[in-house]
Amino acid sequence: MSALPLASPRPARSPAPRRHLEAAPTRAYRRARPRVLSAVVTIAGIGAILLAQLLLSIVLAEGAYTIAGLQTEQRDLLRQEQALTEQLEVLSSTQNLTANAEHLGMVASGNPVFLDLSTGAVSGDPTPAGGSLTGSSGNQIGNALLAGSTLVDPAADDRTAGSPENSAAGGGSGAQASSTPGTIPSPTTR
Amino acid sequence: MTHSRLTARRLALTLFAVFAIVGVFVVKLVDIQVVRAGELTAAAEARRSTSLTVWGSRGEIVDANGTVLADSVDRFDITASPRNVGDSTEMTLDGERVVVPTTEAIAKIAEITGTPAADLFAALTEDPESDFSYLVQAVTLETFTAVFDLDIGWVYSELRPSRTYPSGAIAGNLVGFLGTDGALAGTELQEDSCLEATSGTSTFERSADGVRLPGSLIVVEEPTDGGTVHLTIDADLQWFAQQQLAQQGTAVGADWGTAFVVRVATGEIVVAADWPSIDPNDLNSVSADNSGARSFTAPFEPGSIMKPVAFAALLDRGLIAPETQLTVPGNYTNGLPSGENITDVFAHGDLRWTATGILMNSSNIGTVMLSERLNPEQKYDAFRAFGFGEPTEAGFLGEDGGTVYPADQTRADTVTLATQMFGQGITATSAQMASLYQTLGNGGVRMPLTLVAGCEQADGTWTDVPVPTGERVVSEYAADTTLLMMETVANAGGLRNVISVPGYRIAAKTGTGEVAENGQYGSERIVSLAGVFPADSPEYAIVVTFGKPDTMKSSAAAAPVFNAIMEQVIKTFRVTPSTEAAPNLPLTW
Repeated sequence: MSALPLASPRPARSPAPRRHLEAAPTRAYRRARPRVLSAVVTIAGIGAILLAQLLLSIVLAEGAYTIAGLQTEQRDLLRQEQALTEQLEVLSSTQNLTANAEHLGMVASGNPVFLDLSTGAVSGDPTPAGGSLTGSSGNQIGNALLAGSTLVDPAADDRTAGSPENSAAGGGSGAQASSTPGTIPSPTTR
Repeated sequence: MTHSRLTARRLALTLFAVFAIVGVFVVKLVDIQVVRAGELTAAAEARRSTSLTVWGSRGEIVDANGTVLADSVDRFDITASPRNVGDSTEMTLDGERVVVPTTEAIAKIAEITGTPAADLFAALTEDPESDFSYLVQAVTLETFTAVFDLDIGWVYSELRPSRTYPSGAIAGNLVGFLGTDGALAGTELQEDSCLEATSGTSTFERSADGVRLPGSLIVVEEPTDGGTVHLTIDADLQWFAQQQLAQQGTAVGADWGTAFVVRVATGEIVVAADWPSIDPNDLNSVSADNSGARSFTAPFEPGSIMKPVAFAALLDRGLIAPETQLTVPGNYTNGLPSGENITDVFAHGDLRWTATGILMNSSNIGTVMLSERLNPEQKYDAFRAFGFGEPTEAGFLGEDGGTVYPADQTRADTVTLATQMFGQGITATSAQMASLYQTLGNGGVRMPLTLVAGCEQADGTWTDVPVPTGERVVSEYAADTTLLMMETVANAGGLRNVISVPGYRIAAKTGTGEVAENGQYGSERIVSLAGVFPADSPEYAIVVTFGKPDTMKSSAAAAPVFNAIMEQVIKTFRVTPSTEAAPNLPLTW
């Protein structure tokens, strides 16, 4: 080693390579600028989340009230439907229909007559319609639900049929009244 | 040195204390979070959550065309909390508060519900400390809404599922009714398993104002609605039959009446009418005796409408033909204990009747003489094969099977052995008689009677649908020939003008049964007219019976009703007229 010429120049230490050994910037230094940004982002994020959560719960609560309201409405409507069905069933009972039919002057049909389409033969012994289904003593088969119910008033029916909106719609009695005698009254198909 | 040692000990003590406290906390935490977790959660849930009963509705009972005979409806009990009763304040339209005194509130409720205010007042004052009292029970939605629109603070409500019978007394005998604790009678009770609904619950957490907390757990047990029971009867025709029974029954002073219409091909009961019949809406509408269906549950001695059994059995075994000749005396004692005799309804000397003539004239003696060709076992078997002695397959609640005495008993009791052939000493219900005529009309094949066409579950599936399998009782020849012989009743009998419907061939049989009371036959009669039409191609069997008429103690009392029902059946089901004329079977020789 000592035989090495002293004169051989050592490579000069230039300042440039020294820079490579410069102490790395501290973490704090490196993050000095991004830190502000991330803080803002974080706080904004938290804020947004909180806001979203607030809005969400407001919407949910509102939804809960809407649901509760609609459920109540549904229940009320179902009850109403049931009450109306109940009324309808009573009105369509045989006793009510018979009483009203007879009140309106309808009579029992006569013996049916049959036309055999394949042979063209007519069978049966026709009798004219007439007489009452309930007979002289009136309906004998009770129905407590009909107590206090009133019969249809044909005069009132005529009055409503005569009003402009009803006659335009072709109400049953109005249409029949206007048909000429001898023709079969036919309903207006809508 | 002492100073630092002191510090170290202090530090150790502090650490120990901290760890000890933390330890206590951990133990407590584990206890709460793990050991008692379930219990505490449940307790917490129970505080916040409410459980509501969700009612399923009891199924409907409908007729063959879907006419509702029994339906479930909502009724409301209006209740109150007497403890909280007091004057309430009310906002007027102008936003002013006015005090509504309690008396005024009571008066308003009384006016709406039609309950006397005194009763309401009594209900509120009976136990002033109570938190619950019924004010008015089972009001309709309309009334309920009106009461709640009053907005009285101490008034509450309860839902009360109730039952309504829109058709009233039509088929009231068949439908039955409910009591306060469930079904009591008729189809309501018999088909309870189909009709019954199960109520569900809905559990959730709710806020102070009753609204469900969003996201809170809901436990729902869905309620299931009851099924719909479909009957085979036709409500309109049933009404007609009941109406006819009521009119004629009143006119002849009968105690009761029954009418059956059965479709012969299927055994479906189209009409099973009882008069009087209960209106299930008003359980006091008839007496308790009349609240059921006598047509199924009350057997009686039917009299001569039973005779076709003897003739069909004899024809089936080839023991007679319609033209079989017999000399029928006016009094008959053969085979009977001394002192006993059999007579006909009218006095006569020796008459030369054919078998047809015997049936047409409803001769007891002739029927007994012909029936001697059958031994006691054969007679018993014939009755049993036609369904007597056991309830019909209609399976009505409390249905009775009547009485047929077995051969070993009738062998000793020769009077019953003879009389059972003309329908005395044997009992049957109207339903069983209808089944007999169904069998004769169906070529000797007995179809089980059906009253319930099935149970339609809430999800639309059908269960309990009867699968009718017919059973041959007598040969087709025997059944058809019996009908031919019975046609003479409608063509030549005394009631021909009342029964006949122009264009239709009718096979009919009259019956006047004597009623035994306290072991003695008295003057009371049970009169019937039974038949099948059109006789050449039978479609419907009709049996009409009146019990104990006062003014007309013969089958002439039942004939007009038989005729009216037949005409109505023709109109309702469009039964076409007969195509061939009835043969003229000889009645005498």
